Amino acid sequence: MTRRKVDPITLSVVRGVLETTQREMTLTLEQTARSSVFNLAHDYSTALFNHTPEMILQGQDIPIHLGSLIPAMKSVARFFDGDIHEGDLILHNDPAYGGSHIIDTCMYYPVFYQGELVFWTVCKGHLTDIGGPVPAGYNPNATEIYAEGLRIPPVKLWDKGKPRHDVMNLLLTNMRARRDQEGDFNALIGACQVGARNLRNLMDKYGKDVVQDCIAELLDMAEAHMRSLIARVPDGTYSGTAILEDAGHGFGDFEISATVTIQGDGCHIEITSPPQVPYFINSYEGNSYSGVYLGLMMFAQLPPPYNEGLYRCVSVDMGAKGTLCNAKSPAPHMNCTTTPMETLTDAVRLAFEQAAPDKVSASWGHANGCNIAGWDKRHDEEYVTMVLASIISGAGATASQDGWHACGPECCFGALTSGDIEMLEHSYPIIIHKYGLMEDSGGAGKFRGGSGTVWEVEPLDTPMTLVTFGEGRRIPAMGAAGAKSTLIDRKVGRLEVTRGGETQIITDNVIETIQPGERAANKNPGGGGYGNPYERDVLKVVEDVRNGLVSIEGARLDYGVVISDPDALTVDHDATRALRAA
Amino acid sequence: MQNQYRLGIDAGGTFTDFILADRDGGVRIFKVLSTPQDPTLAIRNGLKLIEDEAGITARQIVSNADLCINGTTVGLNALITHNGAKTGLIATAGHEDSIEIRLGHKEDGYRYDPDYPPATMLVPRYLRRGVRERVISTGAVNTPLNEDDVREACRHFLREGVESVAISFVWSVLHPEHELRAAEIVREMMPDVRLTVGSQLYPQVREYTRTSTAIVNAYLAPILQRYVEAVDGYFRGLGARQPVRYFQSNGGLALGSVVTDQSVYAINSGPASAPQAALYLGEPWGMKDIITVDMGGTSFDITLTRDGRANVSKNIDFLRYRIGIPMIQVETLGAGGGSIGWIDSMGLMQMGPQSAGSEPGPASYDQGGERPTTTDANLILGYLNPDGLVGGRLPLNVEKARAAIKTHLADPLGISVEKAAHGMFTIVNNNMVNAIRRVSVERGYDPRDFVLNCAGGATAAHITALAREMGIRKVLISKLASGLCAFGQIISDVKYNYMAPVAARLEGADTARRLDDLFGALEARGRRDLSGDGFAEERISIRRSLDMRYVGQVHECTVDVDPFAITEEALERLKAAFHARHEELYTYCERNSAVEVVNVESAITGRVDRPKPMHVAAGSGAHAALRGTRPMIFDAEGIGQDTPVYDGALLGAGDRIIGPAVIQEVTTTIVIEPGWSAELDATGVYVLTLGADAAAAVEAQQTEDA
Repeated sequence: MTRRKVDPITLSVVRGVLETTQREMTLTLEQTARSSVFNLAHDYSTALFNHTPEMILQGQDIPIHLGSLIPAMKSVARFFDGDIHEGDLILHNDPAYGGSHIIDTCMYYPVFYQGELVFWTVCKGHLTDIGGPVPAGYNPNATEIYAEGLRIPPVKLWDKGKPRHDVMNLLLTNMRARRDQEGDFNALIGACQVGARNLRNLMDKYGKDVVQDCIAELLDMAEAHMRSLIARVPDGTYSGTAILEDAGHGFGDFEISATVTIQGDGCHIEITSPPQVPYFINSYEGNSYSGVYLGLMMFAQLPPPYNEGLYRCVSVDMGAKGTLCNAKSPAPHMNCTTTPMETLTDAVRLAFEQAAPDKVSASWGHANGCNIAGWDKRHDEEYVTMVLASIISGAGATASQDGWHACGPECCFGALTSGDIEMLEHSYPIIIHKYGLMEDSGGAGKFRGGSGTVWEVEPLDTPMTLVTFGEGRRIPAMGAAGAKSTLIDRKVGRLEVTRGGETQIITDNVIETIQPGERAANKNPGGGGYGNPYERDVLKVVEDVRNGLVSIEGARLDYGVVISDPDALTVDHDATRALRAA
Repeated sequence: MQNQYRLGIDAGGTFTDFILADRDGGVRIFKVLSTPQDPTLAIRNGLKLIEDEAGITARQIVSNADLCINGTTVGLNALITHNGAKTGLIATAGHEDSIEIRLGHKEDGYRYDPDYPPATMLVPRYLRRGVRERVISTGAVNTPLNEDDVREACRHFLREGVESVAISFVWSVLHPEHELRAAEIVREMMPDVRLTVGSQLYPQVREYTRTSTAIVNAYLAPILQRYVEAVDGYFRGLGARQPVRYFQSNGGLALGSVVTDQSVYAINSGPASAPQAALYLGEPWGMKDIITVDMGGTSFDITLTRDGRANVSKNIDFLRYRIGIPMIQVETLGAGGGSIGWIDSMGLMQMGPQSAGSEPGPASYDQGGERPTTTDANLILGYLNPDGLVGGRLPLNVEKARAAIKTHLADPLGISVEKAAHGMFTIVNNNMVNAIRRVSVERGYDPRDFVLNCAGGATAAHITALAREMGIRKVLISKLASGLCAFGQIISDVKYNYMAPVAARLEGADTARRLDDLFGALEARGRRDLSGDGFAEERISIRRSLDMRYVGQVHECTVDVDPFAITEEALERLKAAFHARHEELYTYCERNSAVEVVNVESAITGRVDRPKPMHVAAGSGAHAALRGTRPMIFDAEGIGQDTPVYDGALLGAGDRIIGPAVIQEVTTTIVIEPGWSAELDATGVYVLTLGADAAAAVEAQQTEDA
């Protein structure tokens, strides 16, 4: 712990510069990106790697992007081994090379200093389209990855400083809403440049060797920190199993299990999942790392900054090749960043709940969202986008407080933003009739789960294609420490389509056409609760009822609180005591 | 300035600063403790102090002042402590929760923190009422306003005892009629409440921002109203000739009635006067690109002017609440004299953001503080006089400082106390440099092109080190630095912002005409408001800004232009300005892409006469002010060197000092690192210069001495 090769002061300074660099890369992406998924929703991430390449700084962006960047960066560097030059810029999305899903496109920029490769600046962003038969890429009918969109193995967009317009043109020609995609590529490239500029300045100031020594030390320190956290957990084997509901594929529910073995200050995580299926919920290994690491971070609860040193003492066995969490080509996979990823995260979290019950928090609502596409008459062009406002679920409660409302889904952990209603209506020909919290949706517990949201849309003046994805429509977010809900159907998500006064409830992943005058309401699950709901302070339950977060029925069924006067919200304390004692 | 005095009163977290300028160029600073429970008490206390110390009564000052100016923190304090008015929101049905959904985001830095609480709702859900009505993105009415729903909301609010109401509907900026009709109904049914109407307060696109801004305004309005009534009444009673002007976060002054109706403009006004003060100080040298840094006990505020204009922020999260209205950009970092040095869970040394505050304060205050702070480091480095701060009124205990640094930092890291102290100094400076990037690099500016200006009492010990880290070669330090913000307020103008949404591609004669008409209408309103406040036409000036973006982008970048007739040809000038700004900010622009304008704004200013500048008599050489030497550490390894100490009160205009040196002023200590030189100007400003200039200065001094 006390082996210091570097000056501790310089170390602190270098760390600050790395964080500032990552922040400025993120800011560039946010401000210049063209599609709403990027610029309204922040569905992007940035990271810095050293030459080995090991991740030296992970942004505080989307958790589900960042775990997978670690194997992806290594694959890309291996692919071009011996052929990486100053001025190269590499693009990639293919899960066969560590990518998550192909709509998340990664840009890798090697940073050279005095002729030597020293760093990589990397960003990843969710494009609005990646070609293929279904706009926005989520094709519930795909039985192979080829039916989902364009696979891009590592390819150079710039070759020794020279942009390859032919390659860019090939890619853009295969995508919808070309203008958006082109703008987003520019934003990704700009962010990589901003990062590289800062890193070169840092080396100008302190010298390459000092900076590299500091970074090696920062990796070691992160490793030591994670080891110290794990060492506090009693040695042993702990396991958790979570159920992935059948969201329309017809194969029934699946179980995903995680076995966590703690030995000293190290930890081994073994994943078991069923064989892969011809449906878009398979996850390739790179993406699955994100899910495992998120479960680990829910246990570790560390403040930033984050780097790869944290994971050195954690080994992962993702299970047999050809399984749901370790898929092999040509498994369809588009839904993987949410489904089955959130279930995998839950399994890891549950195993750690056994290992370290004092650090547990409940699961967050899973993503259950939609993509929309159609024709925008205002500008006479097609539009396509994932609607991030449609996947905002409730956060899980923790040992100290209620879950945040409208902060999920679990795979994003609050990093998303859903975008302003007026900006969405400005960008797409839609009317958003409702964007609000849902009564009784937070999981019951001594600490309540956060409320999920409802997002209701009507197309402005042209038919709209609506494609749903995800799950969480039958099984609510799992509680922790003995939490239990009774009113289940209010805590899960679903799609409600209203045509001619009739409402149809849809719990499978579907492609629907919505006409002007019709409405689609996408409901998202709440977060899980923490602890026995009968121990929740009666006054807090009454306050939730006053605020319309819990109904009078919910107060009685979920919390054992009997409200005798619905206007004055008077509590029948005798009845409440009797109910809670039963 | 025609009258005898101008009085500025700037309330801060700890102190309330009084600035009294007189007709002859005299400027005096007085400080009393702030009284947040009864803010007007500090005003009475301060005027009493001036009477005691300067022999001028409150009545003499106020009745002979051309203006009395107040920067207040009552709004800010109410927002920090969540002690605003009980407020109700009337929203479009279906959108009552946007304010609690907060775009579905949890702030960065707390991603996996299980204890970080959600933002406190200023309007809880049961006081947010939806009414049936809807305007769509084209401005067309999709659902007419249901007036019964508004009445039902009012009845609910009356039952609940609501004091203030905000009305904010989706797309109300394109069709304000629904909000205005709802406002009529509220006024009729609730004549005693204060009312904030979203499309009137902040007529810009973005529902969440507009609603949040309206709520903050409504939440604070009754608080500001009570305060303004008390202060205005008090000054009227003292024979004030003019109503008191209040300082706003847009960097300008306003009447009490304005800060009551638009209370959100009052929330972060304190540091917003720094750019004005900076420009005033830099004027003799024509300096217009200035970064001002203000380090106090617990926080570090940064502002920037470029080409004589201050950075403005819109649509930011302030104390976790989204606020749209244009405010002077103030970046605040938890770094001050009281910032605590500690070793984090990874084993890295960090400074702040935790602060020892003034209770118990730094270890060297010897008031029970055990943790090492910035002030303790500066003491060990020899920068601060161990005899004490504020002219010896606050003695410092070197041994306590040494013990704190040794126990908490030096021993665990295995380094000397001196090296640890220099490390603390370096780390806190680097935190500040990273924060300065937020006003400079992130706004597309290279800090090396700027002058660094020093405000606040604790800043001057760090100022040359900060400049060095940023590659800045010139520094300004006023003798008034410790009260610079209060000074900035008394040299500020009256300023109001007028806004309108546009949503048009920047092409064609129609768009040009529309823009020209819009600006014309906004500015006519502005002239009316200012001439009603007694400003003649020649005192009124206008600055326009347009929020523009490439079609398809969602974030705008703001482009400032001087007023000119907007014709179809002139649109090209606007476009060119936009491309240039985009490239400055993001390293590229897209000259072939269509550009659209989203919002326009005119900032309208009524010029107020400036007091005469301060005057310092010519000096006879710095040696006259030399007070001896002290060992000081300027070296990362902690090695000390004997360094001269000068008494600032004895320096005259033209006197030059070569670093390393320290100049002790009563309320601040200026550390001049090796390589820098300082010269006191006749306006009471030290000008510090790095490098080759310093060599030239040495030569000049030698010539002079010879």
